[in-house]
Amino acid sequence: MSALRVILHRLRGAMRQRQLDDQLHDEIRGHLDMAADELVRQGLSREDAVLAARRRFGGVDQIREQCRETRGLPSVESFVRDVAYTIRLLKRTPGFAAIAVATLAIGIGATTAMFTLLNRALLQPLPVVEPGRLVSLNNSGESGMFPTFSHPTYRDIRDRTTVFAGLVGYRFAQLSVSHGGINERLWGFLVTGNYFEVLGVRARIGRTLVPADEEAAGGHPVTVVSYRFWQQRLGGRVDAIGRPLLVNGRSYTIVGVAPQGFFGTDVVAAPDLWFPLSMQPQIENAPSWLENRRAENLFVIGRLQDGVTLAQASAALAAAARRLAEEHPDVEGDTRFTLLRPGLMGSAMRTPVIGFASLLLAIAALVLLLACTNLANLLLARGADRRRELAVRASLGAGRGALVRQLLIETVLLAAAAGTAGLLLALWLTRLAGAIQLPIDIPVSVNLPLDWRVLLFNVLLALAAGFAFGLLPALQATRGNLFGALKEGAPSGHRHDRGWKKALIVVQVAVSLVLLVGGGLMLRALQRAGAIPLGFTPEGAAEVSIDLRLQGYSAGAGRAFQRELLERVRALPGVRDAALADMIPVDLHFSRTRVYPDTGVPRREGRAPVAMFNRVTAGYFEAMGTRLLEGRAFTEFDAEGSAPVAVINRAAARRLWPGERAIGRRLRLRGEDAPLIEVVGIAEDGKYAGLNETGMPMVYLPLLQSYSGSTTVVLRVAGHLPDAIARVQGEIRALDPAIPIASARTLEERLAVPLLPARVTAWILGVFGALSLLLAAVGLYGVMSYMVSTRTHEFGVRMAMGARAVDLLALVLKQGLALTAVGVGAGAAAAALLTRAMRALLFGVSPTDVPTYAAVIATLAAVSLLACLIPARRATRMDPLGALRMD
Amino acid sequence: MAKPDVPPGTLTLMVLRTVEAMGPLHGYGIARRIEQASGDRLALNQGTIYPALLNLEQRGWIKASWGLSENNRRARFYAITPAGRKRLAAEERRWRVASELILRFLTPPEGTR
Repeated sequence: MSALRVILHRLRGAMRQRQLDDQLHDEIRGHLDMAADELVRQGLSREDAVLAARRRFGGVDQIREQCRETRGLPSVESFVRDVAYTIRLLKRTPGFAAIAVATLAIGIGATTAMFTLLNRALLQPLPVVEPGRLVSLNNSGESGMFPTFSHPTYRDIRDRTTVFAGLVGYRFAQLSVSHGGINERLWGFLVTGNYFEVLGVRARIGRTLVPADEEAAGGHPVTVVSYRFWQQRLGGRVDAIGRPLLVNGRSYTIVGVAPQGFFGTDVVAAPDLWFPLSMQPQIENAPSWLENRRAENLFVIGRLQDGVTLAQASAALAAAARRLAEEHPDVEGDTRFTLLRPGLMGSAMRTPVIGFASLLLAIAALVLLLACTNLANLLLARGADRRRELAVRASLGAGRGALVRQLLIETVLLAAAAGTAGLLLALWLTRLAGAIQLPIDIPVSVNLPLDWRVLLFNVLLALAAGFAFGLLPALQATRGNLFGALKEGAPSGHRHDRGWKKALIVVQVAVSLVLLVGGGLMLRALQRAGAIPLGFTPEGAAEVSIDLRLQGYSAGAGRAFQRELLERVRALPGVRDAALADMIPVDLHFSRTRVYPDTGVPRREGRAPVAMFNRVTAGYFEAMGTRLLEGRAFTEFDAEGSAPVAVINRAAARRLWPGERAIGRRLRLRGEDAPLIEVVGIAEDGKYAGLNETGMPMVYLPLLQSYSGSTTVVLRVAGHLPDAIARVQGEIRALDPAIPIASARTLEERLAVPLLPARVTAWILGVFGALSLLLAAVGLYGVMSYMVSTRTHEFGVRMAMGARAVDLLALVLKQGLALTAVGVGAGAAAAALLTRAMRALLFGVSPTDVPTYAAVIATLAAVSLLACLIPARRATRMDPLGALRMD
Repeated sequence: MAKPDVPPGTLTLMVLRTVEAMGPLHGYGIARRIEQASGDRLALNQGTIYPALLNLEQRGWIKASWGLSENNRRARFYAITPAGRKRLAAEERRWRVASELILRFLTPPEGTR
């Protein structure tokens, strides 16, 4: 579209050129006629007069060509000539070209890579029909924003509002898939019957799921598989349609294959199988929650009706919410709808993904700014060196515009090279990111394709960097009286020039301060994270987890399996302690529930406090290395039929019975009519869902009294951990060869997950911070050396007047450090603002952590002192007479 | 002796001065006027004033319009603009200073004769 406009524009220009050319032609003919008329009047014959007039005019064609050049934009030829000239020039100074391209390429590459990430998460349209008309519904009641709704709520909205052409609900499901002798743990979707129809996604072969697949509860054992699954597991064969697939202990008929690249509506997740929501009890091996208004399990996405605006949809939803609140005040009283762009699991991933990606983009942009200031500095210096060459060109008739154009072509050429190199760097970086096996158990697709947005971003970035930071040095180099530069021994620099250089140094110092403070804060945070009391001892312990529920085990069979497995694991060589648990920390998905103390909810709590809860066997605290502070741990006798007991952590004890002894007290979970459970022990506090949480109450229940099919073996080992992990896996396979193992790793490996964003950020900031420090130091050194060399004469005079070496040293240092001080001030202010964005990664370290700032400022001061010291010493070593004689 | 060329950078000044002094004038008239003013001592290719005129027009120092010459030839007439007058004054000053300087430099100081 825009290319077409450019072509039209050029055509119009060419036509106008033609017209102006004709006009000039007429004018010249008039001129010749008038000249001939006059000569005729003077007595020449007409023929002679015409010839003489032409002679006196000069070459008509040359004149016309000259006018054409003056009139038009620089013609293609002269542009090509300039480019060729520039390339020759750059070839003569390969060091300069290499440094300029390399620094700029790092900046552009880093920024492009980060943009790729942001582009993938936020900008790329989903692979469905008219993705722009899709909205994600979120529940934004008083207790915060949640991305999910219950099935009855979904149904009500779908049937009662007219603003949506269609409304779909879906839920992630963990799957244990057996096919061709391979057992895999995969992720899938449970979806409403209209899912494919509303999204406008058609089957590649076979059929998609349809509303009819929702009619009978549990009556539609069918599945649609992803293109990837079809290719990798089913050999891409057409006759896969109609075949059975064993999922979570049941057989499902494959009815279709989704189109290539379609993995649902969430860009970060890539599940492989779709099932009708009517199969929820079978897939989840759990009671149906489809009629339970409290089971807020469904992500909901709507397609706006044609002509309906977001505001209209929001208004209709607000009305629907009011009606829901009237009908179900206890459940829906707090329901409010907020519409978001789909793609990041509603509100769930949106904030963290945008936050982290923006943070990385900001860091990359700072690096780019630094690279650009560095380039500008190089160009300023080069411009000063080249004033003589420019003066020669100017004296040969080149105007300032032509000179600036020449210099700009040079920068833009450098930027183009850097942009290309940066794109390759970005490609490499994103490949690297894609190859990282993220240590999390959601099927994340870290697929970062370069599309036209990324390319456009890259090109614009390179051009903008080239122009913005090339124009200033070009204007500087060509300003003022260039001919002065032709004089022998004229100082090559200009006063304004130095001003700009100083400004650039200030920017560099400020940027490196921001990066270094960021890096420093991250290091402090990691340090603190290492010292965070976890409430367990990861060293020497490992986990192996399976899910019996997904394998179709009944509670009875599951208990028998668990008993047998635990006995076998305990008998393995080197295993000191072993236990089973529903979940182990640190896990984002830890179950929470409200806890009601027997003495009533403490007044200052208002409502019953929320606690995490876990189901564990005897030996859990030993295996995890969690200290028991009071009372007793669970034993084999805390089983079905014996009195229900619980161990709680200290935080729970303090919240439930402030200032009182908790052992022997009783509590209820979930509701005030639930059975009472006696507290028999108090364990130390710990981190459960994330390293940032503090004082989270925890309730442990005996696994034997409260069965859970999700089973994690925790073992503490004397000896080689990987061997022990392998042996446990062997025992599991011996008991059930069909069961997929969800994870098998040491607890230290597990802890790498919550620390990953912080580690990545720290690493990036550290590298770039060091780089920026180096650049700032080099820049400062350059400016100070230059200052000393231009003031040689003045220093000579001062020394002749009796100034001591110390005075000169102080003079130079003061100037250099004043620059640093301004940069530090600006940088500190910027850092205080920018580091707030990192708060989530800081594990409680304040974004304005004084020791970090102090250390960074001290480092910067020391480095700039060093950078100034060398030129300063040079000033003091000057021979005063020699210095005076020089001019 | 051959006629001297137009010194670089002076043609625009001459053109500006001519249109200021004579009022709107066509290219041929300007060229003739410059030749006459120099006492026909200048080797001026009359054509070279056209790029100069174009340049001045682009900078907004003169403006052009079509009209008829004294003997009914179609011609473009150039007139000076206020910006052109300002520029001319500045250029004049600059040239006076420069030429005076050169002159003083070339004239042997008193007493060394």
